Amino acid sequence: MAGPSTNAAIALSLRENGMAHWLRIGFYKVGPFFTVTALLLTWELASRLELVIAFLLPPLSVVLLRIAEDMVAGQLPLDIAITLYRTLVAFVLAMVIGISLGIVIPRVASIRWFFDPIISIGLPMPKIALLPIFMLWFGLFDTSKILMVAFSASFQIIITTWSATQNVEKELIWSARSLGASNRQILWEVIFPASLPQILTGLQIAMPVCLIVVLVTEMVMGGQGLGDSMLRSARYVDSPGVFAGIVEIGIVGFCVIRSMELIRRRLLVWHQETQKEETTV
Amino acid sequence: MASVARSGREHDNPAAAPGISISGVCHEYRPANGRPVLALDDISLEVKDREFVSILGPSGCGKSTLLYLMGGFMPLQQGEIIVAGKTVTGPGPDRGVVFQNFALFPWKSVRDNILYGLEKQGLPREERLEIAQHYIDMVHLSGFEDSYPSQLSGGMKQRVAIARTLAIKPDTLLMDEPFGALDAQTRSLMQEELIAIWNRSPTTVVFVTHDVREAVLLADRVAVMTARPGRLKEIVETKFADAPHDEIVKSPEFLDKVDYTWNLVRAEAVAADAEKAG
Amino acid sequence: MSAAATLWRFTPLLIIALLWEATTRLGLISEFALPPLTNVISSFFKLLADDLLYHTGRSILRGAVGFLCAMVVGVLAGVLMAWYRPVRILVNPLMRCFYPMPKSALIPLTIMWIGLGDGSKMTLIFIGCLLPIVMSSFNAARGVDQVLIWSARGMGATEQQVLWEVVVPASMPEILSGIRISLALSFILLVSAELIIANNGIGYLIDLLGEGGDYAGMFAGVITISAIGFFADRGYVMLMRRFLRWRE
Repeated sequence: MAGPSTNAAIALSLRENGMAHWLRIGFYKVGPFFTVTALLLTWELASRLELVIAFLLPPLSVVLLRIAEDMVAGQLPLDIAITLYRTLVAFVLAMVIGISLGIVIPRVASIRWFFDPIISIGLPMPKIALLPIFMLWFGLFDTSKILMVAFSASFQIIITTWSATQNVEKELIWSARSLGASNRQILWEVIFPASLPQILTGLQIAMPVCLIVVLVTEMVMGGQGLGDSMLRSARYVDSPGVFAGIVEIGIVGFCVIRSMELIRRRLLVWHQETQKEETTV
Repeated sequence: MASVARSGREHDNPAAAPGISISGVCHEYRPANGRPVLALDDISLEVKDREFVSILGPSGCGKSTLLYLMGGFMPLQQGEIIVAGKTVTGPGPDRGVVFQNFALFPWKSVRDNILYGLEKQGLPREERLEIAQHYIDMVHLSGFEDSYPSQLSGGMKQRVAIARTLAIKPDTLLMDEPFGALDAQTRSLMQEELIAIWNRSPTTVVFVTHDVREAVLLADRVAVMTARPGRLKEIVETKFADAPHDEIVKSPEFLDKVDYTWNLVRAEAVAADAEKAG
Repeated sequence: MSAAATLWRFTPLLIIALLWEATTRLGLISEFALPPLTNVISSFFKLLADDLLYHTGRSILRGAVGFLCAMVVGVLAGVLMAWYRPVRILVNPLMRCFYPMPKSALIPLTIMWIGLGDGSKMTLIFIGCLLPIVMSSFNAARGVDQVLIWSARGMGATEQQVLWEVVVPASMPEILSGIRISLALSFILLVSAELIIANNGIGYLIDLLGEGGDYAGMFAGVITISAIGFFADRGYVMLMRRFLRWRE
């Protein structure tokens, strides 16, 4: 069914003739492209026509040229690679720690007792505040960056895995048990796949956190990467550089988040969310 | 409406507006991507004033769509629907609707849910409260006025939904599988309660269901629909002598009607499955 | 929960605190890596008498202004987008482009635009939290059960009434949990921006103490801001529960 705004559609489509219908369809098809193009055009023209100071908003063409230059010079691919490397290593680390703790915690009473207060305090607190401590302990290089990022992301993964594996339908587990599955088999063959959708949701929440934190660590500690180069541009008041950074980081973020969605769809072929079908009432 | 104190199953009041007239209604779903689906194909149906008509059919036959069109919730693509002398162009309080999943506002208490429609009619506050209380008592929910829907059982929620709809005194009652979400026992209690309420203040009722027994028991006539695209297959007269439900359901005429109607629906369900498989 | 049960629940934290104190006092861990807990606590009180409150207040003010603006604008924009189809069609593609951008990329931008002061941090938090709030409010309002809207219309509500009396309250639970996620984000952005570059604020204070080698003070600052973040979330959840009492 269409969303709440069907009222608009109703108002429009009631007794509407062919002309109006096609205008509407046209608007729906062209509208999205229109906005994006309009935004990019406004950006370019606003600074070309000196409606805003070019320092605050350099023309789009200048920014794109800058990106191209950095690309050719080899600095940009290097920065992207370094940032992605840190992000992904930290993400995998957080994933391994988070999922295993999330599975173990609810199943072993003593471990649950120990971790429960730590996690309920750790989850809502701004973990980035610990960055100076991580710098103190692990230095200024990749180790402290990766550990900081992994630490920031792992609480979310623990808590979603915990609740997902706890909320698997009892009937599912019972039916596997009555078919003769062992406890270990039930964990890996029933509980894990059944809670996979929620675990993936947890990972999808954790990934943006990783990206956010990795940039912050690079801005604070330096050591190359997109965050470092962007902050350096800001320090040198190099506004095309800052905007180039925004665009680059935006694209990297978009690609990473999109690929998470694609992986989710691939992994959850069996799940009804992948097989949404339009139905009539 | 309140002046009609006699038995409801008479249609001799000339002052009352006529019932519902549906003529040549077609409806097509046009999904954003994919082929359009014809849900309703040339439906024409007359419902007399204060008649209780059930629309019965296999799931997916478009019976709810037809009801939503009568409610004015979806734009009419082809054909015409006239309710109580007025052509339907949009939703309005002249047609009270009871939905399958109750559609209560979960953030409002029982009383506030019932008051909502009354507020829209601009009645003075005192009168609103009085009417609301009257309907709360009528559906036996006294004592639960300040409860939230989440604190009520399914049957209680549906009683609130019915009270909320009746409170605005609609000329026509449109019910979309109102008892579909209830367990069998609550369901039969609610059926009796509905008939009792209807006998006290009869209105035109269109009652969508896929439960054959329920349709035959409650309705004066049952309109059986075909599987997709929904067409009107047959109209079955299902009026029985005024008697308690537990007597009606044991009578041979009732059992015959259920059997007959059930076979009609079954044929459609089988046809629909065959089409899906093919 | 009884007092004993609460105590038992939080015993692990007590154990960690004791281990912390013991290992550092016994010299198992260098004092430069981990100052003893008691030193951290006394540093906290020393700072409290000094300028901890000033810096903390500064941070909270920035965070609150930016976040409240984002909340008001974001919820309104999200709901209106869901309700008016033309608005949705025009704005949705922009939102989908910008939503996945890691919000910390905005830190250098606001520094360059506005500088190091309050305005820069408020803008950062406003822009950073805006899109997530718009997005979750939009999804919440789009997901409102069609039947609720129909039944209000059927009872004679106008379109404006349906929007404010049905769509907004019905989507409130989801809107409020979306805002909660943004609240956490606002703390991340605030602390990050202050750690990166600032003249005052709790992040600046932590950085300053760390650079000066006062690690006990640095730990005290870190614990303070963590605690504020934690209690902000708890307080928000309590308000949310009260507001959504009808759900129980």
